[in-house]
Amino acid sequence: MYIGLFDALPLLRDPMLLVVISLFSFLPVIFIFVFADQASAVQSLIGAIVLTFSFTGLFASQSVYFNKQWFRFQDMFVASRVSPASYALGLSLSGLVVALPGVVVAMVLLLLSKSATAAGVLLLLGTSVLLWIGLVFVGFAIGATTKNARRANSIPQVLSIALGFLPPVYYPLERLHDIPIAQAVAMLIPTTHAAQLAKYYFGLISIPAWQVWVGWIYLLSFAALMGFLASRRAHWVDP
Amino acid sequence: MEVVRVEGLGKTYPGGTKALEDVSFSINKGEVFCLLGRNGAGKTTLLRILATQLRPTLGRAFVLGHDVLADPKSIRPHIAVVPQEARPQMLLSPYDHILYMCLIRGRTRADARERTRKVMEELDLWEHRDKLAADLSGGLRQRLIIAMAMVADPEVLFLDEPTIGLDPLGRRSVWSMLRALTKKGVTILLTTHYLDEAEILADHLLIVDKGRTAFLGTVDEAKGDTGVGMRVIMEPAAGNGSAAPEVLEPKSSEEILAIVERGLREKRKVTFKPASLEDAFIKIVGGSIEVENT
Repeated sequence: MYIGLFDALPLLRDPMLLVVISLFSFLPVIFIFVFADQASAVQSLIGAIVLTFSFTGLFASQSVYFNKQWFRFQDMFVASRVSPASYALGLSLSGLVVALPGVVVAMVLLLLSKSATAAGVLLLLGTSVLLWIGLVFVGFAIGATTKNARRANSIPQVLSIALGFLPPVYYPLERLHDIPIAQAVAMLIPTTHAAQLAKYYFGLISIPAWQVWVGWIYLLSFAALMGFLASRRAHWVDP
Repeated sequence: MEVVRVEGLGKTYPGGTKALEDVSFSINKGEVFCLLGRNGAGKTTLLRILATQLRPTLGRAFVLGHDVLADPKSIRPHIAVVPQEARPQMLLSPYDHILYMCLIRGRTRADARERTRKVMEELDLWEHRDKLAADLSGGLRQRLIIAMAMVADPEVLFLDEPTIGLDPLGRRSVWSMLRALTKKGVTILLTTHYLDEAEILADHLLIVDKGRTAFLGTVDEAKGDTGVGMRVIMEPAAGNGSAAPEVLEPKSSEEILAIVERGLREKRKVTFKPASLEDAFIKIVGGSIEVENT
């Protein structure tokens, strides 16, 4: 846990940075709230919660890169009692700690706008956490193989656009109904599945049961595949 | 007592680059052992293998009696590393760095606070404890990184070019700190490009060249084995400023006398330089002696 706190400390100490980072995913919600109806705004709020988790997972790549290549703290940790599992968990959670205030604010807003069951809230968080796990693995794979700081910053940003802002996460999947190819591509993106499930469990959309299963299986498979990829790419002791 | 033993160690990276080949040596308790070599000679590779950060592909290495490959977990609690070009987190204070390193290494909060204060006082960092790392000088930042390693109270300390970028006073302060540690029984393995540093600190040194052992022994042995003697630098005569100075290596007192007479006759400035580790190093790794400004 101390590894996570140490990694997150510069952000936790700076309230301005904390606000910017924790509310980053929620900026589109403001525009949707202003320019669309309340139902769309509520959907986008769920999308923002899902994406906060996914972005913090993805941006673990920066922690991995900077701790290994820039500060070189990873080498110091390897030569100590620290286990690779606690290091990985610490770095993964550091982003989550920073993003948590934003998630809490969004959950409160969400519950004020739409009543939900405890199960709905838990399942929303469940899909988000499952997506987060998959993207933490992606972050570790990227961070461990990136060799320069510019790439360590740009790759997760590009991916966050591809995974967060383009697919139907803030907006409903039905908006792509007239463009079948876009809808098909969207269904290949894990954030789409997580957002669909979250919206479904919050009672904002209805989807057939088989789609719910497909969503969970997709997210589980994605997490497992990315876990495998990360285990091949991110090394505690270099080969 | 032998703290590090290396037997026929070799490392070929997955891409096929051969970084180390058949390196063997041992280090005794409380020694400063310097690894010297050109850039890319294999120094960092060797240090990282011994610090359990990198897997060797050939041979065996033991630290504190444990095999680095088979039993790294028994080694890690007793060692600490100062990696090459490590940097502190600019938005954290020295106190944060050291306290968290104590906590990460498994100390309780009370113990961590106490240890942090002790290490910071020992390394003259206490007065800077609340500054941001961004506001520290290069020397203080490097001292901070060393302090982070020191919290472990290690039996073996691995330092990869710890004084790079430091001013002469900063380097000397690191040297005296390392010497103080060896007096407490800490064994130090150090890579450096500064040959004066190795000359002052090293009890033994290993010169690696293209991954192979080029020399293993003491500083005096390095100078003696290579037959490096006094060097005489004869500046160009006045009015011939563009000419390169002559570097001479007299083998006898007669030759020295002849050089002095020639210098007087030609009115050229003559500088005598005693044999240095740098000269020995250049001979060992097969380079040519560059003419310096004296």
